[in-house]
Amino acid sequence: MTATGVRLRRAGEQFAVAKPLVAIDSASKVYGTNRGLAPLSLAINAGERVALVGPSGSGKTTLLRLLAGALVPDQGPRSVIINGKSPGELKPGRELASLVGIVSQRFDLVPHLPVLHNVLAGRLGHWSLARSVLSLVWPMERRAAQQALARVGIADKINERPGRLSGGEQQRVAIARMMMQSPLVILADEPVASLDPARAEEVMELLVGLVSLDMGHGNGDDGSSQRTLIASLHTASLIRRHFTRVIGLRESRVQFDLPAGELDDAVLDELYDLGDDNGDVEPLAGLAARDG
Amino acid sequence: MSLRRLQTWLTGPRLLTLGIVFALAWSLSRVDWQQPIGHTGGGAAALQVLLALFPPELSPEFLRICVVSSWHTLAYAVAGMSLAVALGLPLGVLASGVLAQSADGSGARRWTLMASVRFLLAAMRSVHELVWALLFVAAVGLSPMAAILAMAIPYAGILGRIYAEQLQDVPAEPVAALRTTGASSAHVLLYGYIPMALPDLLSYTFYRLECGIRAAAIMSFVGIDGIGFQIELSLADLLFRQVWTLLIFLVALVVAVDWWSSRVRRSMAY
Repeated sequence: MTATGVRLRRAGEQFAVAKPLVAIDSASKVYGTNRGLAPLSLAINAGERVALVGPSGSGKTTLLRLLAGALVPDQGPRSVIINGKSPGELKPGRELASLVGIVSQRFDLVPHLPVLHNVLAGRLGHWSLARSVLSLVWPMERRAAQQALARVGIADKINERPGRLSGGEQQRVAIARMMMQSPLVILADEPVASLDPARAEEVMELLVGLVSLDMGHGNGDDGSSQRTLIASLHTASLIRRHFTRVIGLRESRVQFDLPAGELDDAVLDELYDLGDDNGDVEPLAGLAARDG
Repeated sequence: MSLRRLQTWLTGPRLLTLGIVFALAWSLSRVDWQQPIGHTGGGAAALQVLLALFPPELSPEFLRICVVSSWHTLAYAVAGMSLAVALGLPLGVLASGVLAQSADGSGARRWTLMASVRFLLAAMRSVHELVWALLFVAAVGLSPMAAILAMAIPYAGILGRIYAEQLQDVPAEPVAALRTTGASSAHVLLYGYIPMALPDLLSYTFYRLECGIRAAAIMSFVGIDGIGFQIELSLADLLFRQVWTLLIFLVALVVAVDWWSSRVRRSMAY
């Protein structure tokens, strides 16, 4: 099904087939001798909220980074297609920024810049270099950044340095940055792994809120306001409450693919039971691969 | 058996220590102990120089000379450093390779660029500023411009090298996060690398400015005015009290730059 969708798109045909928004066609990634991801195929439709679960080293981070275009699959960039484009092929800029964005476990803010500029960094893909330079002195789109921060509940922190904020607040800044970027597909790599349960619930609500939120920047040529969320996390209750679909990965293979409501703790326990297998460990090679 | 023991005992570091001890003993045996090591009138001369410190020359006319020459030295140092930063920062950015970084590994072009810029920087700094000064005096004659260029070139070589390393040491995660917002390498340099490296960049630049003051002071022989020139004049007349005053001004300049630098760094703490 996935392959068909891709082939139709490649042929440029405009049939009203239910084409998946995200199509992964047996993409794999090998780092040196370590397997980051075994050949994996997956189709995700617009508007889905997909949770990726699986033990460390199961390939979740690699998969998310392939989708973000931060890694290129061994089969070539065309084996990951989002909305007809391949993120690995796109040059930095508006098109990539509008297509896909990622929030990660450690939020990854620039500690030396105030929250305002960290939020505005979400616009870098849309801005010219001159505009970006000017913005450091005289912030552009300040109003939009204020609104984004108000929406995540930390409007008062706009001039703080990220280092002075708590983990939950930093994750909110990262989500506000994502609002400014406004991509079609929102990726989140263990966004709540370092937060306490109450904070995790709040941050998850904000992330899920992004999916249906009209962020006011439009989506380039797409025009759809329906976004797609793909997040890796480990908490069954959060998955059942906030997601529509759950995919279990183990040793970089799909173990199960269920509606989120059908996820029970027994399925999850079985997935995480690694026994004494000490096989593929996700390597730390590359930009920021890690897995909690 | 005991030979075997000696063999295991005589491993790398111990062997090296023994070698150094032997070399030292040999070199001492070569010294001609009949000749005095210091020059005979040295003690008296040193005492004379030291006593001139109590008090140094503090006459208003001379203090005015000190202030003016300190100002000139500072001006040369700042001019040379400004040119060095203007040259060294772009070269440092190129040498760090952060602009040419792609998502997946690195290419041969990036390596070639980094290597050639690093070679250029090494060439610039391997020649001392005094040698550059001699070359420029030969080329453009005795002029302040010769002194400023002579300082700017080796300092740019040093700054570029250190800037490149400081940019490379920036944490990778925020940079990777910026790239996923669709930011280009130039964007990432502006919003990631430079802000994160800025405290280190500034700190090292201020340190180099201190060195620059010292260097500007000894550039007097290429004909620029300044503390060094005045020290040379006073020394020629054996006016050690004046020399002390000038040295105190030189130390004060360096301490002032240090104080300024620590204030700037404190204001940037996050």
